[in-house]
Formats: sequence, C-alpha cells, structure tokens
Amino acid sequence: MEVKSHLQRVLSSGQLAVTAEIGPPRNADPEVIKRKAKLLKGYVDAVNITDCQTAIVRISSIASAILVMAEGLEPVAQMTCRDRNRIGIQADLLGASALGIRNLLCLTGDHPKFGNHPMAKPVFDLDSLQLLKLVRDLEEGYFANGEEIKGRKPQFFRGAAENPFAEPYYIRAYRLAKKIKAGAQFIQTQIIYNVDRFREFMEDCERLGLLDKVYILAGITPPKSVGMAKYMKYHVPGLDVPDEIIKRLEGAKDVREEGINIAVELIQRIKDIPGVKGFHIMAIEWEEAVPEIVKRAGLYPRPEYEVPIYPFVVERVVERPVEMVVEKVIEKVVEKPVEVIVEKEIEKPIEVYIEKAITELEEGMAKGQISLESFIEILANLKAGLKQIKAGMDSVEETIEILEQEFFGKGKPTKVELKEVPKVEEKEKIKPQVQPEIKEKVEVKKEAEVKPEEEKIAPEPIAEVKPEAKGEKKPEVKPETKPEEKREESAEKGPEVKPEVKPEVKPEVKPEVKAEGKLEVKTRLFKGTYRPLSERAKKVPESAYLDRATGEIQEVVIGKDGKAIKVGGAKALNFHYFEGELPNSIQIAYEILDIKPEDWPESLAKYYQDVWHDPALWAKKCVEEYGASAICLYLLGTDPNGLNLPANHAIEVVKKVTSAVDVPLIVWGSGNAEKDVEVLREVSEIVGPRGAVIGPVVDTNHRTLGAVAMGYGIPVIASSPIDVNLAKQLNILLENIGVSLDKILMDPSIGALGYGIEYTFSVMERIRLAALYGQDTKLACPFICSIGKEVWKTKEASLPTDETFGDQEERGVLMEALTAVTLAMAGGDLLIMRHPVAVKLCYTLFNSLSQA
Amino acid sequence: MIIAERRPLPEILANLSPYKKILVLGCRGCVAVCSAGGDREVAILAEAIRLARERQGSPVEVYEEILIRQCDPEYLQPLAEWMSKIEAVVSMACGVGVNLIADLYPSLRVYPGVDTTFYGANVALGEWVEKCRGCGDCIIDQTAGLCPIARCAKNLLNGPCGGSQGGKCEVRKDMPCVWHLIIDRLKERGELERLLEITPPKDWRPAGGDGLRVRKRPDLTLS
Repeated sequence: MEVKSHLQRVLSSGQLAVTAEIGPPRNADPEVIKRKAKLLKGYVDAVNITDCQTAIVRISSIASAILVMAEGLEPVAQMTCRDRNRIGIQADLLGASALGIRNLLCLTGDHPKFGNHPMAKPVFDLDSLQLLKLVRDLEEGYFANGEEIKGRKPQFFRGAAENPFAEPYYIRAYRLAKKIKAGAQFIQTQIIYNVDRFREFMEDCERLGLLDKVYILAGITPPKSVGMAKYMKYHVPGLDVPDEIIKRLEGAKDVREEGINIAVELIQRIKDIPGVKGFHIMAIEWEEAVPEIVKRAGLYPRPEYEVPIYPFVVERVVERPVEMVVEKVIEKVVEKPVEVIVEKEIEKPIEVYIEKAITELEEGMAKGQISLESFIEILANLKAGLKQIKAGMDSVEETIEILEQEFFGKGKPTKVELKEVPKVEEKEKIKPQVQPEIKEKVEVKKEAEVKPEEEKIAPEPIAEVKPEAKGEKKPEVKPETKPEEKREESAEKGPEVKPEVKPEVKPEVKPEVKAEGKLEVKTRLFKGTYRPLSERAKKVPESAYLDRATGEIQEVVIGKDGKAIKVGGAKALNFHYFEGELPNSIQIAYEILDIKPEDWPESLAKYYQDVWHDPALWAKKCVEEYGASAICLYLLGTDPNGLNLPANHAIEVVKKVTSAVDVPLIVWGSGNAEKDVEVLREVSEIVGPRGAVIGPVVDTNHRTLGAVAMGYGIPVIASSPIDVNLAKQLNILLENIGVSLDKILMDPSIGALGYGIEYTFSVMERIRLAALYGQDTKLACPFICSIGKEVWKTKEASLPTDETFGDQEERGVLMEALTAVTLAMAGGDLLIMRHPVAVKLCYTLFNSLSQA
Repeated sequence: MIIAERRPLPEILANLSPYKKILVLGCRGCVAVCSAGGDREVAILAEAIRLARERQGSPVEVYEEILIRQCDPEYLQPLAEWMSKIEAVVSMACGVGVNLIADLYPSLRVYPGVDTTFYGANVALGEWVEKCRGCGDCIIDQTAGLCPIARCAKNLLNGPCGGSQGGKCEVRKDMPCVWHLIIDRLKERGELERLLEITPPKDWRPAGGDGLRVRKRPDLTLS
C-alpha cells in the first residue's frame, strides 16, 4: 500500500509547495534541531535535513529527521554517496524507511576535500543517479545486487538536486531528464539569483517534456549579509549572484531586511515560470527568516497535514517480527551465490582454449544457442597458433638444410671463412678491397665483379681443397686487380692518391703500412669480399628474413665543400643492404690529442710518438700517411681534473690543426660540462666557419653549447649515459632550443670489449630499432662512438706480450677493431679510433659486409 | 607493470559496428609483457574482428600496428598518418594509452581493446597478481614490504581482522591473508612490537582522492 508523504500530497494537489532546510549541529545536542523545527512548523510542508553538508561532521541526516518528526514536522532526509558504499546506503535507507521517513533527497555529496576531514577516503561507490535508481529498485523490491527483498519494502518520495547554473548549461536539462529516468520525483534547484538563466533552464526542461514528470522546487536563499553574497558569488562554484544583488545589499540600511526582500521578490518573479511547483527556502543558519519570507511571499498558511507525524517508536514495535523473518531469508539467499562464484573462479584459469570451446559449445547446444562471438574468437586463436607452429617448422627445416650443407659440403658455405694470414698477405689483401666507387672507371667495377666468380668456382668442386685453393687464389687474383687500379689512379693524380679522388670513400692503408714496415700484427682476417645475402641465402624465401624499416636515420654533414663527409641517412640496419638503402658508408675519424699522451701503450704510441708533440703534425700524419678522412681532436689538456689548460691553449691547438689539414674536424672537449662550455664556445669561433662537430653536449650544458652550434650551423655530439630514454630526452631538449635533428650525432657512451660492450650494443640497438622500426624520430640520429678512448685505457690493451695474452699489439688492435665492428653492427655511423692497423682492419671488415 | 586483459569480443565488436576501416593498435609496453596487447594479441584480435564481421555480412578492413609505447606523445606520432586511412582505432594499450590518444587526437574514434586491471607481478607463467595499488603514500616500510592496501580486501592498516583463518582471507579462500604474512615476517625479524602501535587513518588524497594526480620534475621540465 502506497503511503504518500505530506510533501507529495501537497505537490500532487497542484499547490505551490514550500520546504526549508535545517543544518544539524556539530555536536550531540538534539535541542538545536528541535528548536529549529519549532521555528519552521506551520510555515513549511517539509523540512530538508542535510547529510553533513560541505563534508563537515554533524548529527546524521536520518537521526535529525527522527528528531524533526518528534516535533510533528515532516522531514526530507538526505543521502549522499560520499561516506557510504552501497551497503551502508541500503542499510541506512532500510532503517530510514522503517523509522517512518518518507521523503528522500539523493545527492552525490560534497567532496571531503571541502570539509573538515579532507584526508578521509572518499567512497563514491555510487553517484546520485545510481543512488536514485537504487532507491527505486529498493522500493520495487530489489537490492542493488538484484536480490529480492523478502518482506516489507522501503518507500520514499524521491528527490534530487539540479544546478541550472553549472556549466555547460546545455547539459543541465538533459541531466535532469536522466535523473527523472533514474527515479527522481521532485527536484530542488541550486540557489537562484539569476532568474533569466533559471527561466532558460525551465524552457529547456519544457522542450524536453520534463515539466509534467517531475515537481521542480526553486531554490531560494535570503542573503544574510554582503559578505555572504560575495562569498557565494566568488567562492561557490556554480552559484550565479548578479552584481545588482550585491549592490542592493551594500546600499541597504538594514541588510537582513533587504535580504528578505530580495528572497520575496525572487519568489514573486519565479512562481509564474511554467513548471515551478514550489520553493525550497535555504536560509542558511538563519531559519527564523523563513516564516517571514513565506508570509510576505503570500505562501502562508500552509495546508494541514492529513496524517499526523508520529514518533518512530510505535512503528518499531510493529515491525519487529517482520524484520526477523527478513534477516533469515537473506542469509539463505546469500550463501548460494557465494558458493557458485568460488567454483567458477577456480575453474577459469585451468581451462584451455579448446576445452573452453568444447564446454561452451556443449553448453550452447544444451541451451540451443551458441555464442557466435566466442566461437569466432576460438577460431582466431587456433588460426594464430597454427601460423606460429608453421613458422616454427619452417625455420627448423631451414636449419636442418643448412646443417646438412655444412656437414656434407654440398652447396656453398653459409658463412664467410676466417683465414690465418701472415702480415704480408694482409697487406696485399687489403689493397684490392678499396671500394670501387661508382664515380670511378668502369674497368674497376668489372674487375670487382670478376673476383667473386672466380672464387665461387674454386670451392664448389672439391670441399677438401678449399683451404689451399683460397690461399692460392687470393694472392693471384688480387695483386692483379690492385696494380691496375693503382696505375690508373696514379696516372691521373700522382703518388699521393686518395683524399681528393673520393670524398666518401675510405683511403687505402697501403702507404702507411709501407712506411711503418715493422708491423708485426698477425690477425685472422675476413676474406674481405662481399657476397650478397640473396646469394648466400637463396634457399630461404625472402619473406622469412626481410623486414624493411619504416623510419630513416638523419643524414648529418660534417665539414664543408669537397672534404665534407656524410654520416647516417640509413633506411636499414647497418650492413642490411638487402633491406634498404645505406647511402653512406661507416666513417672512421682518427683521434689526436691536444697534449702528449701519457698512458698510451708502446704498441699504439710507436705510430705517433714522432709527431705527438705537435697536434698539427699529428693530424697531418693521420691524413697524409694513414689516409684519415676525418680527425677527432680530443682536448684532454683542458680537463679540470688534469692539466686544466685554459681555453687559449685549446684555441692555439685548434688553429694549428685547422691550418695543417683540411679534412672535417671533430672537436671533443674534456667532458667537464662547465669547462667545455668555456672552451668549445671559443673553439667554435675558429672551426665554425670551416665546419666541424663540437661536443660532448650534455643535458646541463645543452642550452649554451646548442646555441653556439646553431650559431655556426655545425653539428653537435649529444652525449648521454648509455640509456635509451636519456638519449632521446637530450635530443628533444636540443631540438626544443632549435638544434635540428640533422645536426645531432648521438654519443651513447660506449664501453669497450670486455668493459660493457654488450650493454652498449643492446642500448644502441634498441635506439636504432626504435628509430627505424618504432617511428621514433627523436632517436633517428647517427651514432658517434669514441672507440679508441675506451679501448686503449683498458688494462688488457697495455699488458705486455706474454704467452697467455699473446702479442700486445695484436691484442690491442683486435680489441679496438672488434669493439668498432661490433658497435658498427649496433648502429655506429662515425667511429673515432686510434690504431692505424685497427682502422685498416675495420675497413676490411666493413668492406666485406658492404655492397661494392 | 600495468596488467590488462582483453575485453570481451562482443563488446569490442559492438563499439566497432559503425566502422569499415579499423586500426588495431598494439603496445610493446606492459600490455605486451602481460600478453594482453602485444604483437600476438593484436594479430588475434584483428583476425577475430575480420572473421566476425565477415560472418555478420559487413566485412571490414582491419589494419595492424604496434607501437613501442602508447603513453608517450612521441611514440604516438605515427597515428597522425593513420587518421586519413581509418575510421576507428582499437587501442590495446592500457587506459593510459587510450586516454592519451583521445587527448592528442580528438577527432579520432578510439576504443579500448583491453580492460586495465591492476599493477602486478608475473608470479608464474600466465599468472599475474596485484602487488601495488599506487596509493601514492607507501607504507610497506612498516609492513615488511607487503602491502595491505593492495593485498587486503579491507585495506586494513591495523590488521588482521577476525576473518583471517589459517593464513587465508575470508573474502576469498584462495587469497592469503596479507596481514598473516606481515605478522609472520615481523615475528621472524623480532619486530612484532611494531604492531602495537595504532596506525592512524590514512590520507587518501595521494591515492587519487584529491583528483587527477600529476608528477612534475621541475629540473626536467622545459621552461
């Protein structure tokens, strides 16, 4: 049987309703509430009791409502979502109904932040809409979990709030519609001062056809003081107080009287707006104003209560037996679902796709319905799985095939053979490997092509003969090639061959080797001829290994005019010629120092000790004897932890070097961020105009050095401590100040062989993969790797020759070359090295991995 | 890492029903590691969408792309190129990725391909367990490294409650009572007296109770 609340009866009778608001005290004194209730009794139809408004602790709304009822006044209890989850809310609602509370205002509630316990955990398990629905569901006999309420159901006249003044305005009426849909029967609006806006809101509601579906009570608050009005205007979000209200109060003799006048006038203006069914007067901490307002607004007297409000105690006695029954029933119902849930959750993880599929199919068939989607999902899973198995099988087959070839000597060997060669042979072999440049004559190219053919013929017929055949073949074939090339070149250019001939191509190492004469380095060398992957892997379908990059590495130009070198520009991983264009070969710069090196082992020192007193001579030797195409000048002497030589010293050295050689120059500072700013700023003045690279630039000096580099349009070395993100961050920082990415060489901070080369490799590889395959353009800069510095400071490079460690020089050379080649594989584009033989070795290896 | 789980296919399909060109966008971050949104899962979902739509008689073009991460604007840049080719994106990244895409590409219809579930550890093959709730104010220095916020159903700070039985939680029998574990451990360390102290109510603001959480490193921000 439906019991209407008094408020509901007044509203449904078509009369304008009047409600007021009581804020409970922040203590346990019931008299405060009783006194306020007495004040209002007879002037309002019901009184709204806040639920800890603004999140400040007070007597609870439901308890206060009971106290109000004891005074014979009908309460509107409030329920917010801030402090209770759905369990607490439902429990309190059952209680409120059991105690005879018939009106309920459902709110989300103010955030704890605004109250006196800001660190309380905000619950907000539900919002006001979900709460409205929950209340309606309870009334219809269902808990929030869908469980049925056995026994007496709670009953409420459901209210909600809406704020016509909150932005965006256009959503407000729709939101009201949603609240009505969720179960709201009456609405209290936010305090109205801007009547025009409120009218628009009501028109919106009319358009949506909401006005017959809900009783709207307009919110009215008499401003008690100017300060209060201003507070509401400036500090309460979504409260619109026009200036004229504040002016009126400011100009009033009796502010309170004026406040009441304002409220009365507002009521007069609002009551004729279609859809307004009453007023909710919120005289905050000023309840005594309400009777006055009601009387003056012509809303007095109020309709009599049809059913007197009686104390809750009577009802409780009546309800008791019913409550007992309800509890028992609930216990039983609860047990079942718990069991079911546990079983299900245990089963799930064990199920395999197929089992699951079968189960689902069986279930589906039993029910006469199969979930198409789940069936499809299973098929997709199976299909993907089969694909992978197939791919796995394919690669196993390939591997077996390759192994067979290796064992039985059928077909061509899949790897480039290593060969032990004495020094003399080494020289000879290296010479022909000078990359025939496209610019060069056609004859040279032809010869280069001929070579691999001859080689092929040899190993094919008899596997056993291979070693011999090779040993013989090489010296024969190559010397021939070499002299021809030589002759042609020398005919044109004279003895001092290359620099001018090919700006991009690496110079041959021949002259240096001859000059030294004493090179005793025995090394195991690659043959040094390139065989395309398509030939080596012709039994493997291209699709099995081809993975073309989507990105591209920036091309950085170092130096100017004919001597400039280019690094980067790659559209594939280094040496992956089969996957994409690698327009620039890997460059090597010879490292020289501004001061005489102290700790270089004899095996390295012997090449330079005749010139290292003078960086100009040193640079000249590198270029003229060893054919360096670039020089890296390491300003070790300026290091504050070492000699701490001033910037002037660096300027002198750089001047000398620049006048001695015209190859591109890399000026590498001491690594001290502050000192480098000082030194490199000065140095750039000299090297800037001719083109050079300066660095290392780190995060702490990127602004100044970045600006210097931009000023001269020269590239910088962006140096970061071996980390993908740090490298990227530095590039972004540099880009942000205006250094474009094609002016950045990344120094990832490398480690030498045995000193962290694996870590270096994986970081560099990840950076390069991100740039080429991960569309990470901020990482798409060429790498510069300071190899020599790292290798030659290792203990192993300096240990004397002995039985265990072998020859000192060979060891050092191999360490430097291996470090260099490894990092070139990882993406290194410009390598800085020291030992001329190591450089030579690298070129040999690079050539063997490169397309002619 | 952030753990996620593929959303049910019918829900994904429902979201995509108006579109004819769809990009399934994977992420090689956390969701790849927890097998929810990496290369393989992208392939499976793309295939499933194709099959389902074919069955429904409204075939669809499904493209696949996997980004290194989706929680970083830089890594999302490739999306700009996709905009003209597709009508909707199903992002298989965690909610962070979906949100960032929505932030950066307002005109792009982006739908979540996974439910982002929790921060967890890969405790066994195919099993991930929540270990942290990101509440912003770590208390596990007091609890022997075991987090009661993440691992106690009641988030008790002065546990265990009366529902701890045989080391198990009453809420779920398969769930160890974390307070039981904490006590065992503190006892071993001779630090049981720690539990005599009443831990005061927690400040929930860093847990998100105060709205959007933001972290700034002034020394790393670009002025």
